[in-house]
Amino acid sequence: MKKILALLMVVSMWPALVMAQTPAWNEIKGELKEALQAKGNPVRGEAAFQPCQGCHRKDASGRVSGAYPRLAGQHANVLMKQIADIRSGRRSNVKMEPFIDDHVLTAFDIADIAVYLEALPIPAANGKGPGTALTLGKQLYDKDCADCHGAKGEGNSAKFYPMVAAQHYRYLLREIQYIRDGDRRNANPDMILLIKNYKSADMEAVADYMSQFAAPAK
Amino acid sequence: MNYRSICDQKQRFHRLIGFAAALVVGCGFASNAMAEDAKTIAATVCMACHGEDGNSAIPMFPKIAGLQESYIVKQLRDFQTGRRKSDIMAPVVAALKQEDIVPLAVYYSAQKLKPGTDGDKKAAAFGKMVFFEGNEESGVPACVGCHLPGGVGYQIYPKIGGQHTTYVAQQLKNFASGERSNDVSRFMRVVAKRMSEEEIQSVAEYLVGLDSK
Repeated sequence: MKKILALLMVVSMWPALVMAQTPAWNEIKGELKEALQAKGNPVRGEAAFQPCQGCHRKDASGRVSGAYPRLAGQHANVLMKQIADIRSGRRSNVKMEPFIDDHVLTAFDIADIAVYLEALPIPAANGKGPGTALTLGKQLYDKDCADCHGAKGEGNSAKFYPMVAAQHYRYLLREIQYIRDGDRRNANPDMILLIKNYKSADMEAVADYMSQFAAPAK
Repeated sequence: MNYRSICDQKQRFHRLIGFAAALVVGCGFASNAMAEDAKTIAATVCMACHGEDGNSAIPMFPKIAGLQESYIVKQLRDFQTGRRKSDIMAPVVAALKQEDIVPLAVYYSAQKLKPGTDGDKKAAAFGKMVFFEGNEESGVPACVGCHLPGGVGYQIYPKIGGQHTTYVAQQLKNFASGERSNDVSRFMRVVAKRMSEEEIQSVAEYLVGLDSK
């Protein structure tokens, strides 16, 4: 009898045990915690950002082609989390990983770079979508995205939701697809559920719509 | 590849090695005062390969005129410790005194690097694109990000504008293979490994003609 009771207990607790072991997508620990607690210095950040210019450009505008995202003006919290996630392997990014690994940066550099980038002016021209599916795009965005990413794509620093306004169309499109397909891996699971059934046309429409947002006022 | 020209180069550099080695040995017997004068060391030890004012006439030996002082110091020290491998430089730097290194770097840094005119124009056009854009598909950063327009260099990133095509291409290949491994943060090894042979050669053809002040 005792054995059966014990077995029943374990079986009933199992889901809780499993959930407790699965880290939350926005769990603050380790290097991210260090970086968040560090007082980032934008002057040091500018120096640390130097080698990043080769891809992200001197003004951190990224590439209009969408190959590399605009970083200028993005929330520092978001930048810190993404860098930490790429370093830890939590976010897949083969192209970027060796340029921000331990040989290049410390947790303090991450904080410096993030506050430096957040303060940069958002460049005027981002890569925009074709503008042909904005009705569908707005419909999807208002229904599925605005709650987290803001009515005008301004994001939410405290919750680590990126600003999506003034970002390159092809970058947004690629990341939405990676998130949908589980290839990006560090996204909010709620988001993955929301866009699980998006078809190509849906992703293109919502990315197109987001790419038309004006840069949020500082 | 033109094997004959490689053989010529090999013969030439073997002769130069012998010459340089003889000079170094000779200098060892000379007075200490000579060793203290960087200009004299340059004229007697370094000139054979790197040219009178650091503008080497031989494409496989780098121009060292106008390079950042701290960069020259780092390379000389890296040659001494073996952190940067070079059968040619190893015996040369072994004969240098520690107190010679900074004065030598100061001396060469003050010279002016003269660009070359022998870059292949067609390849250089493609090389210019690589220099300013990199390769978005393979993840090659634009060289301009660190080395700045004109390849003038910045802080730890050396001046590369005006440098010999042969030397640049060889260094990129050495970074790609890991043969050269003294790059800060392993950056150049990652970058070079992602570059195609065509990109390496073309960017070298582009760089040689740049007049980096």
